[in-house]
Amino acid sequence: MRIIYKLLVKDIVRFVNDKTALLLTFLVPAILIIIFGNIFSGNGGFPGVHVIFVNNSKSELAKTLETKLDSSEAIILVKNITDMESGKIINITVGRAVEEIKKGKISAAIIFPDDFFSDTSKSVKIKFFYDPKDQIESSIVQGSVQQAIMSSMPDVLPVLMQRKIESSIGYKKVKKFKEEMSGVVSEYFNVPVDSIYKKEDSLKLFSTAGANTNNFFSKLINIENSQVVGAEVKNPGVTRIVGGWAMMFLLFSLTGAATSLFEEKQEGSLKRLLCMPISRGNILWSKYIYSVLIGIIQLFVLFLFAYFLFDVEIFSNFFNLIIVILASAAAAVSFGMLITALSSSIAQANGIATLLIMIMSAIGGAWFPVSILPDWMQTISKLTITYWSVEAFLQVLWRGGDLTSISFNLIILVSVAVIVNTYAIFLFRKGKIF
Amino acid sequence: MLKIEHIVKQFGKVKALDDVSIRIDRGEFFGMLGPNGAGKTTLMNIIVGYVKADSGSVSFEDKLLSTAENGTRLNFGYVPQEISLYPELSALQNLKIFGSLYGLKKNVMLKSIDEVLELVKLNDRKKDAVKNFSGGMKRRLNLAASILHKPKLLLCDEPTVGIDPQSRNAIFEMLQYLAEQNITIIYTTHHMEEAERLCSRLVIIDYGKIIAEGSLSEMVNMLDKKETIKIKKHSELKSKIKTLESMGRLIEFDLEYELIPDVKFNKMSQLFYSLEELNIPQEFIELSRSTLEDVFLNLTGRSLRD
Repeated sequence: MRIIYKLLVKDIVRFVNDKTALLLTFLVPAILIIIFGNIFSGNGGFPGVHVIFVNNSKSELAKTLETKLDSSEAIILVKNITDMESGKIINITVGRAVEEIKKGKISAAIIFPDDFFSDTSKSVKIKFFYDPKDQIESSIVQGSVQQAIMSSMPDVLPVLMQRKIESSIGYKKVKKFKEEMSGVVSEYFNVPVDSIYKKEDSLKLFSTAGANTNNFFSKLINIENSQVVGAEVKNPGVTRIVGGWAMMFLLFSLTGAATSLFEEKQEGSLKRLLCMPISRGNILWSKYIYSVLIGIIQLFVLFLFAYFLFDVEIFSNFFNLIIVILASAAAAVSFGMLITALSSSIAQANGIATLLIMIMSAIGGAWFPVSILPDWMQTISKLTITYWSVEAFLQVLWRGGDLTSISFNLIILVSVAVIVNTYAIFLFRKGKIF
Repeated sequence: MLKIEHIVKQFGKVKALDDVSIRIDRGEFFGMLGPNGAGKTTLMNIIVGYVKADSGSVSFEDKLLSTAENGTRLNFGYVPQEISLYPELSALQNLKIFGSLYGLKKNVMLKSIDEVLELVKLNDRKKDAVKNFSGGMKRRLNLAASILHKPKLLLCDEPTVGIDPQSRNAIFEMLQYLAEQNITIIYTTHHMEEAERLCSRLVIIDYGKIIAEGSLSEMVNMLDKKETIKIKKHSELKSKIKTLESMGRLIEFDLEYELIPDVKFNKMSQLFYSLEELNIPQEFIELSRSTLEDVFLNLTGRSLRD
């Protein structure tokens, strides 16, 4: 038992002295729980998904439903935008809404058309345009719309049902039934007929219990769904996630490639190179180019697997995909080089890399859509290369976007690569690794 | 050939090299002897350009290395203290990589690889991964990788660390062969036996300063006494210690005493006579010529291995 105790003490002492192990053991889970907690706790963390809302109807019912949707916590209605040309704030039209979705600027639009609900309507008509680029986001939006409509049922349902009954048995019969019913109630409870007649409208004359509610609901609320983007994608599930996972693996492997400078130092081979008539710049740039090449090959192989095994279409927009791969690999290697330059040992470099990659993947959109993150986290996510890369992959694979549509992402990724790499090389020249 | 002038290098508060100046001529087998941490490797690193000196200069064939073009260093071969090879690659692959980085053309490189593999006796293992080599084989290949381009100056930083006597001997022979080919060699070690065996001239470095310079015989001649007496420890010796101390300077080691005779003993025979009078059996007494160890001890009051 004493031996076990002594061995236990030995392991604890080693663990406490291993700063990297300490970092990974406590800091990584702590940060991840903060991120996940903020997303899924519902304690004011989830900011709601932005959805374009166009109300072309003049009916009172549309206004009621709009108010309900406005008060929903899960969705935030975007009713106007700033026109890029005039700089003025303009109301969004249906065409503009569809255009914005296609561009990937917003993931859904709820439209109340002119004929949302007229004097003769037997049901409410809603148009729902959406881009299911992410399943979680789509589910949230669709669920929220249904929830808003359902919560409006006490206001909407009696009117719709009365219209339905009137169309079935005739207006006169319904009116006669209501008047007779009002008279009976008035006499029995000794209250004026006028006050009952209004209340009668909201009486539950028909129970929906036991009936096929979905069928019943759909007859009253006619939601016309229209998938604006990705309808032709063969395997939406894999196509949506492949970019995020690709970027996470890329960061892991390329950080490893960059930190291999430490291995070479430990082996001693780096010292031999540095003592040869070779400049330090040559060594670093060769390592950089090597790592980028590895990244490109790795991603290409990953996408090929996705193509052959899961029907992810990569060749229809192949050129743009390669450009995004190149820019992502360049940015990811720079990230690895920076970590290597800032670290004093391979263990430290790997520890910091693991921590940052997990954080970047979580808030950068590799694991779940950025739109479901709290506002402050969404702001931070734009500081990660994962965000710009995942968005670019989605643009290319999901929306079939052209070079212009990914140009901003590419500028960000390449700028990060240039700036971070220049700084990393500056640090290398001053740092401990050499 | 190589001129090191007034080199100063400080790491934080520690002065690793303090105004070091050395001149090494063509064809010399030059040794740098000193205990661990004396500054030998730092000086090597400065010569090969791995570390920058705070002040001072190094020039090779009258060209200042700080301003000379990168190609000047092509005249150097460097055998680092570490095994500076790619362990997962074969010996041949390693040599090809370093050969190409030295700018050798393919046919010249292949010929050179054959020659160096022959020299280090690894021709039959050239396709094996370095990670599967013994320590001695790795050391030999480490040397081979440094002489592929036929350098004029070979810098060896403790190239025999951690290997068995046989492999060490093999490396000594290779280095001696290279010296015969008129390659100038700088060799750092903290083993005085190595310096004594290999070097035609050497410096002793301690705490970043050169404390002695010259050939082995010149250094030994610096000592008052060229010989020392070693007396093996045994049970009866304890009672005679005080008498021995009156005969000269007595230094105690684990298994023996070393006696540096007092000047009153003009001849060694007088000393032996006195020892005989003390009834110390002859088999316990050994006469030895002074070594670099003695020189170091004399200069610093410490042993090289301290």
